Parts: sequence; C-alpha cells; structure tokens
Amino acid sequence: MEHTAAYLGLIPLLPLTGALVIGLLYMFTCTTNPLPEKLYGALACVGPLLSFFLALVVFFHLKGLPPEERFLVHNAYTWFAVGDLHINMGFLADPLSALMLLFVTLIGSLIHIYSVGYMAEDKNYGKFFCYMNLFLGAMLILVLGSGPVVMFVGWEGVGLCSYLLISYFSEDTNNVLAGNKAFIVNRIGDLGFVLGMSVLFWAIGASGFDYLSLRANAHNLTPAIGITVCLLLFVGATGKSAQIPLYVWLPDAMAGPTPVSALIHAATMVTAGVYMVARFSFIYAHFPIAGSVVAWVGILTALLAAIFGMFQKDIKKILAYSTVSQLGYMFAAVGVTAYSAGIFHVFTHAFFKALLFLGAGSVIYALHHQQDIWKMGGLKDKLPRTYWTMLIGALALSGVPPFSGFFSKDEILFSALATGHTGIWFIGVLVAGMTAYYTFRMIFLVFHGAPRDKEAFDHAHEPPAVMTIPLVILAVGAAFAGVLNLPAIFGGSLNVSQWLEPSLVEHHGHASIWLEIMAMLASIGVVACGVYIAYKKFGQGAEEPVFTGFAKIGYYKFYVDEIYNAVFVQPYKGFGSIISRFLEPKVTDSGVKLSSWLYQKAGTAFKALQVGYVRIYALYMIIGLSLMSLFLSQTIN
Amino acid sequence: MHDFLSILPLLIIVGGAILLMLLSAFEKVQVEIASFISMAFFAAAFFVQLLVGCGPETVVFAKIFNGMLVTSNFTMVGGLIILGCGFFTAMSAHSYFKVNLFCTLEFYCMMMFAACGMLLLTMSQELISAFIALEIMSLSIYILVGYDRANVTATEAILKYLMLGAFAGAFFTMGTALIYGGTGTTKFAGIATMISATPAAHPFLIAGSFFIFAALLFKVAAFPFHAWVIDVYDGASTPVTGFMATALKTAVFVVFANFLALSAGMHSSWITFLFWVSVLTMFGGNLVAIGQSSLKRMLAASGIVHSGYLLIALVAISTDHFTGSVIGYYLAAYAVGTLGIFAALSYLGGKDEKRGTFDDFKGLAQVRPYSAAAITVFLLSMAGIPPTAGFMGKFYIITSAISAGQTALAVLGVISSILSMWYYLRLVINMYFYEAEDSFEIAGSPLATAGTFVLVVCVFAIGLYPIII
Repeated sequence: MEHTAAYLGLIPLLPLTGALVIGLLYMFTCTTNPLPEKLYGALACVGPLLSFFLALVVFFHLKGLPPEERFLVHNAYTWFAVGDLHINMGFLADPLSALMLLFVTLIGSLIHIYSVGYMAEDKNYGKFFCYMNLFLGAMLILVLGSGPVVMFVGWEGVGLCSYLLISYFSEDTNNVLAGNKAFIVNRIGDLGFVLGMSVLFWAIGASGFDYLSLRANAHNLTPAIGITVCLLLFVGATGKSAQIPLYVWLPDAMAGPTPVSALIHAATMVTAGVYMVARFSFIYAHFPIAGSVVAWVGILTALLAAIFGMFQKDIKKILAYSTVSQLGYMFAAVGVTAYSAGIFHVFTHAFFKALLFLGAGSVIYALHHQQDIWKMGGLKDKLPRTYWTMLIGALALSGVPPFSGFFSKDEILFSALATGHTGIWFIGVLVAGMTAYYTFRMIFLVFHGAPRDKEAFDHAHEPPAVMTIPLVILAVGAAFAGVLNLPAIFGGSLNVSQWLEPSLVEHHGHASIWLEIMAMLASIGVVACGVYIAYKKFGQGAEEPVFTGFAKIGYYKFYVDEIYNAVFVQPYKGFGSIISRFLEPKVTDSGVKLSSWLYQKAGTAFKALQVGYVRIYALYMIIGLSLMSLFLSQTIN
Repeated sequence: MHDFLSILPLLIIVGGAILLMLLSAFEKVQVEIASFISMAFFAAAFFVQLLVGCGPETVVFAKIFNGMLVTSNFTMVGGLIILGCGFFTAMSAHSYFKVNLFCTLEFYCMMMFAACGMLLLTMSQELISAFIALEIMSLSIYILVGYDRANVTATEAILKYLMLGAFAGAFFTMGTALIYGGTGTTKFAGIATMISATPAAHPFLIAGSFFIFAALLFKVAAFPFHAWVIDVYDGASTPVTGFMATALKTAVFVVFANFLALSAGMHSSWITFLFWVSVLTMFGGNLVAIGQSSLKRMLAASGIVHSGYLLIALVAISTDHFTGSVIGYYLAAYAVGTLGIFAALSYLGGKDEKRGTFDDFKGLAQVRPYSAAAITVFLLSMAGIPPTAGFMGKFYIITSAISAGQTALAVLGVISSILSMWYYLRLVINMYFYEAEDSFEIAGSPLATAGTFVLVVCVFAIGLYPIII
C-alpha cells in the first residue's frame, strides 16, 4: 500500500536549484564584480534548511500512517523506456529513507552554516557553496530514488561532488591527486554497482525496476544470481563507503576543506554504501553467505583502520580512519542482517562524526591550519566550547555510556553475538577498545598538557558563533541520539528499529538478557581500558615518539598505498605506455590515417563535381532520372 | 468548429502575411516593426497549434475542400516545427538586417507566405493542392533567396534554384497528370484504394509516382538531385538559408511521408530504390561536406546527409499504422540544431557575411565563449552526440530501421554519422584550439543571440524529454 506525495521531488530539487543559482551567479560575476560572501552563504543555507523542513513533513506524514502503509511515492516523469526497462524519475520515502533524509538534511544544513564561517576568507566562496549544495542534492537523490537507477544518479553525483570538493584547493597538486584518487577508486566500485544492477535487472527486472517491485519479486532469485548480485553491489559499497580493499581514498580525501570532510564523513557519501545494503535488505537477507562476506569485510576494515588510527599524527587523518573503522562496524551489522542496528549507527555516527570534524575544523581554524596533533596541546582553556563539544563527540565515538555511540555500537556487537558470529563480536570489542584509545589520545594531545607550539597557542582563539553554534547542536545530538533506540534492558523499546521495520527484511537473533548484559559489560570494560591507557600515555603531556617496528608499519598504513601502486597502478601505466608508444602509432593509427586520407581524397573528388554550372546540375538530374528508370525497369519485370 | 481550429494556425499566418503586405504600402512602417509583427504572428500561430492539438486524423472541411486537406498529429508536429522555424528565423533576420541593409518589409511578408505554403503542404492529401502549396512555398523562397539584388552570388543562386526548381515543378505536374490518368483520382486516399484493389499496378501510376518522387527528392536535396543545394544555400542570406534548411525540408518530408505511407503496395515497391537513394545521399553528402571551406556550404552539404537519415526513416515507416513520430522527432531535432547554428551565424557573420569560413571562426571561444559553446552544442546535436536532441533523433531512426528489418541501412547510417564528425568537429577545433585573430565584434541586435540560447535549451529539452512528440 503506497501513497503519493508530489512534494518529495522538491527535497532534492531545492539544494540542486540552490547549486544552479549560486553557480550561475558565481559564473557571471566572479571575474567582473564579485558578489558579497554573505549573499552566497545565505543562498546556500536556504536550500538545505528548506529540505530539512520538508524532511520533517515527510516524517510526520509517514508517522500518521499505519506502519504497513508507510510508503510515499512520487513519479515525476518517465525518464526513459527501452524494451522492458521503464525507468521513472521517481522518489520513494519510506521509514528508511525518511530517517536518512532527516539526518542528512539536518547535518547537511548545520555543516553549511558552519562553512559560512569557516570558508570566510576563501576567494572562491561562491564555487564552494555551489558544489556543497550540489553534493547535498545528489545525496538526497540517492536516498530518495525509487529504484536502483535513480539511486545511481545520486551515487554518481556524490562521487563527482566529492571529486570537486576534495581537490577544491586546486593550487596544490597533492589535493588534485587526492581528488583523482577518490574519483578513480569510486569508479572501480561503481563498476561493481552497475554490474550488480544489470544482473538484477536481467534476473527480475522485467516487471518493474524499482524497490517495491523488486522486493515483491526477490523470491524469484536463484541462489547463484542472488549471491552474485549481493557481492557485486557490495563492491560498489566498498568503493563509496571506504571498505577493504577500496578504503584508500578516504584518508586522502582529507585534502579538502574541513567542512567537506565533515559532509563526506557524516551526512553524505560514505553512508551511501550502508544505506544501499540496507535498501537491498530484501535480497541480502535471503543470502546469509553474502551477508557473512559483508560482515567479515566490514569488521576486518574496522580492525585495520583502528590500527592505522592509533599511529596517525594528523588530526583529520585520525578522524578519517575512525570513520573507516566505524563504517566497518556498520557493514558488520548489515552483514549479520541487523540492518536497523547498522542504520542506527549510521544515524548516531553522523552526529558525533560531524561534530568531531567540525570541532577539528575549529581547532585547525584557531591554529591557522595546523593539523599535526604533536604541535598542539593545552587548548582546553583557549577553546572551551570546542573542547567540551569535542569531548562529547569523543565519548560518543568511543562508546562510553550513556552517549549515543554506546547504544548503537552495542546494538551491533550484540546482534553479532546473537546471530552466532562470535568472531565478529570479539574483533568488534577489540576495535572498541582501540577506538577509545586513539580517540582519547587525540583529545589529550590536543587539549590537555602543555602547549607544544607556544606561538600558535598564544594566537589561538575561539572561532565565531556561526561555527560554534552548529557544534553545540551536534553535541546535543551526539549525546542524546542514543535514547531514540533504547534496548529493552534499559526500559526502551528499540524505537528506531521499530520505525524501520516496514522497510527492512530482518532476522532477529535471540539471546538471553544475561548474554546482552555480559556483552555490554565486556565492551564497557574494554573501552575503559582504552581510555585509561590513552590517559596514562598522553594525559600528562607527552613528546612525539619515534616510531619503530610495528608502530612504524602502522604509521605508514601497512604500505597499502605503495603496494597498490606497485601491483595495480604501475603495471597499468606500463601497459598504457606500451599502447601509446607502440600499438597506437605503429599499428592502429596507420589504418586510421589511411581511411581518413581516402576519405579526404574522395571529398576532394566530390567537391569537383560541384562545378557551379546549372547546366551540369541539370545533367545530374537527368542522370538520376535515367538511373531511376533503369531501376524501375529492373523491378517491374 | 474543430475543422476551423485545426487550420487556424494557417489562417493566422495568411492573415499576418496579408497584413504585412498592406503595411508595406506605408513608408512609415519600419522593417524592424515588420520583424516583430511576423514574430508575433508566428508565435501566436505556434501556440494556437499547440493548444488546438490534434486528435486522430481529421479531414478538414470535407465538403468545401473535398477532402484535400487532412490534419493529424503528424501534420501538427510538422506545423509546429515550421512555425517555430519561422519565429526563430524572424529573430535572426532582425539581427542580421541591422548590419546588412537590403531588407524591406516584403521580406517578412514573403517569409510568411512561404510558411503558409509549407503548412498547406503538410496538410495536403491530394496531388493538385500539394502542387499548389509546393509552388506557393517555392515562389516565396525563390524571392527570399535572391532578395539582395545587388549581390552577385545571391542572383546566381536564385537563377540556379529557379531553373532547376522549375524542372522539379514540371516533374511534379507530370506525375500528377500520369497518376490521374492511371487511377482517375488525385486524392491520396483514392490512389491507395486503387492500388489495393488492383494487384498489378497500372503503368501510368508507376510512371506518375516516379516523377513525383523525382520532384520530392529534388526538394529535399537527395542524391543525385542535390547539386543545387550547395550553391543556393551559399548564395542566400544566412537567415533565409536557415529557414530553407529547416522549414522547407520539414514540409516536404511530411508530404513525402504521407504520400509513401498511403499504401503498403506503393511503399514496398519503392523500398529498394529508396534504400539506395538514402545510402547515396548520406555518403555523397558527407563527401561533399568534407571538401568545403565555407560554413554555409558545409551546412548545406550536411543538410543533404540529414535528408539521407530521413530517407532511412521513410524506408522504415510502417504503412499499417503510420504515425510519423520518428520522422517528426528527427525533423524537430534537426530543426533546432540547424536553426541554432544559422542564428549564431546571423549575428556572428557581420556585415556582408564577412565571417563565413572555417578559418574565420578560429579562436571564437576565447572572445565569445558562450557563443562558441552554443555552436558546439548545435554541432554535437547535428553529429548525434548524447544527450542532445540529435542523438535521440538518430537513435529513433536507427532503431526503427532495425525493427523494420533494414539492419544494413541502420549500420550504414551509423557509419555515416561517424563520418560526419569530421566536418562538425573541424569547426569545434577551430573555435577552441586556435588563438583568436578576429575581435568578433557584433553590431546587430541581441535578438539572434537570445534566440540562439533559447535553442540551446531546446536541444537539451527535446533530447531529454523524448516523449514530447
């Protein structure tokens, strides 16, 4: 049972219109008479805020309906129709996409507001906000799309915008290379997505290629095809959501301005993969083998990224690896068919990760673009608002009760245990400890102890209100968002999971309440250990160590980038150079050149026929008529 | 009432033409005003056509006209294209005549008479009325081609066109007479009944359609009746060339398709012939086009190639349930691209069309980036690159050919469109990869510029909403 709601189309359209307007304004005025920054800032915030408002409308609209009817559909127009493939430019709001909508637009809006302050001195202000709005619009298309094809539009859109924004400071080659890397790695994932989509269409797409029809036909999938589809789609997800083996782009993506990192890590882009797997829960749930692959890839990514995170010294890289690690948790959740737990972690993560990034942005802003945590220290009193909000974010990320991260992470770990994935649970708990360690390592080094760079410390000051207010709002979210999904043992009733119920196909594991309490205590204990070790080592001030042995390998991220470079990039380049040096000029070109030479000569010959005498032209007509009559005499008889 | 409404656009254009003719008696009315008046009439007729729409086939005033005029969705689309062409041509002409000062009021008047000939031609379902419409159109176009009497090339062009066009007209009359002799009727419907009634075709009928095909192929510049088109397009002033290349071709192709589609017997007996004509037209046109150095001549030759694609569509039409949607779509896509490029040439050409060759446009992108971008869009559309209208048009034609079993023709069509990149991209390269030598100062009015950018939007709009037609 579905309802129609024409206003759905407006939600992505508003930021997209914003992008168009800002882009055109910027394009026509940037060289002649630059417009004031305030205008761009205000214009940029309008679209996301209105979208947030509409997202609330969607939410309450759905809430007013009985649970099994919570599907709002709007088919704007038939996008294209080829054979069996009828693709509507359609939008679907169900509980899953409504939840995504809410936090994407809320956090997106907050990041936009924050950027007004953060980007204040940038000379391409208009361009930046054009891309930001476009980014959000693309993400909203991704979330709201009524079928895989429309989702793919948004999917590619966020890929493009991430490229544009990561290499935003394009004067520096490294930034451009980081953008290239993000784009290329994402494209590798996209290939998987497209293939998965094609196989899915080939198998069950004939009677409608949107989620609702696919869901109704999912039972027709044979195991072989179903698993293939799942794994191919997951390849797409590993690209977008930075999982092994395609996670390498995300840490490099720190090259972009900090609000962009926040947007990529919290509200848009990286959550797309998790969302997609949850979207296709009606397929994944039928094929536990594919789910296990997803879960194991996820938890191993979580472990690997946590190891890397422990040794980084760039504040943004620490956060980047923590995102990769948390995304690993989410995939572990959706892999063990605990989709609602995964999505709930996406939701809480969006708050505390946006908060941490924006907080890191404040620190960087205050220290005039210093990102090395070994050059910070003692900023607690200088930046009180940043400190307290970031502390809340760090507590939430570490999973300290009662902050939001605790509930969502615990839900995931418990689901793993309840569905019998003890190995995943064990690694998950371990990673939780490591997360607590590196998060508080960062907090202690940045805010506690004595300042390591006296001069920068003296000039540091709290950023303007336009930047700190979003921090406070996000801190509230990061602190309390967990309450929304309180499990039964705390007297809650898993509200979010219930809300998501109609959208997902879930198998709930059953386990005793004692197991749940044990699991919870174990993870709290490990987290406490992590925080304690961090305090011991860094709480009282510490000097930058010289990494040796394992730590050094960890700092250099197990040399994965170098290995990829040697195994994939260089052979590929070598192959390309063989083609460009030998195959193309010597072999294929000669044929091409010959045909173009012939073509040109024939052209010259034909030009000669255009003599310019009308009598000759009349002659051509006569020749034509003669040929026609010749033809006629041939066919008649 | 419905009969009246369906020819209302035609009446509006006739009224406008007569009004302008009368106004030209007064010296005070300026040429500029005339251009606005004609634009207004074209726009009004366009929207009336759009609003009236068209249901199924309607015989207009069956008693008065004795079934000579029939409107359908296909004629409506043809009408819309012609009226749109008229509107944008008037726009470009307004700019063009700001610097080229040989225009008088009758120019716009003639354009509107030509348009009413064309509209009449699309609706004609009878040979004599088709002939009259064809001649109304042709006579007005002759005058427009040679409007600049002081210009030698224009005078040469009109002479060539008139002489060769007279041949074509004679063929058409000859064909009409023979068909009447063979079937006793000149109405398409009557001819169709005759063909289906008698299995062995009457020799007069065959001979008659032979001549009518020759005349129509001449009008659409199909090989080997194409030779006039290069010189005539080159000699006519730029807006007129644009008008001829689009509106005239639309009108003739609509009547061509109507004539061919009238019976399966007629279509199937000429299908092999049309196959070869279309192949020769595409490849001959391409070969003529690559040798040209003047843009107008190149566009004339590329017009031949596009006629070749449309002939593919004619080969592939299904006589059982003929809708003309593929042809109509392609004509619309081709019209926006071609009109756009001629509109751009109208304001970029300058006085006496001093910029007209490939070399003259070197480095345009540096000086006038938006104009260069617009021209690039039109060229890409004509070359058939997605997501432009031209791509969708070609796509429909190729798929219709495949579904009609003409795979060979479809493949040849694709090859020809690859060949056509040569001369389209040549201009793009000249605009973007050279230093600007010219300052590209523009004197005329901004109307043609505005028209160009509206047409850019149309190229994408038609390309992205293929269901429009």
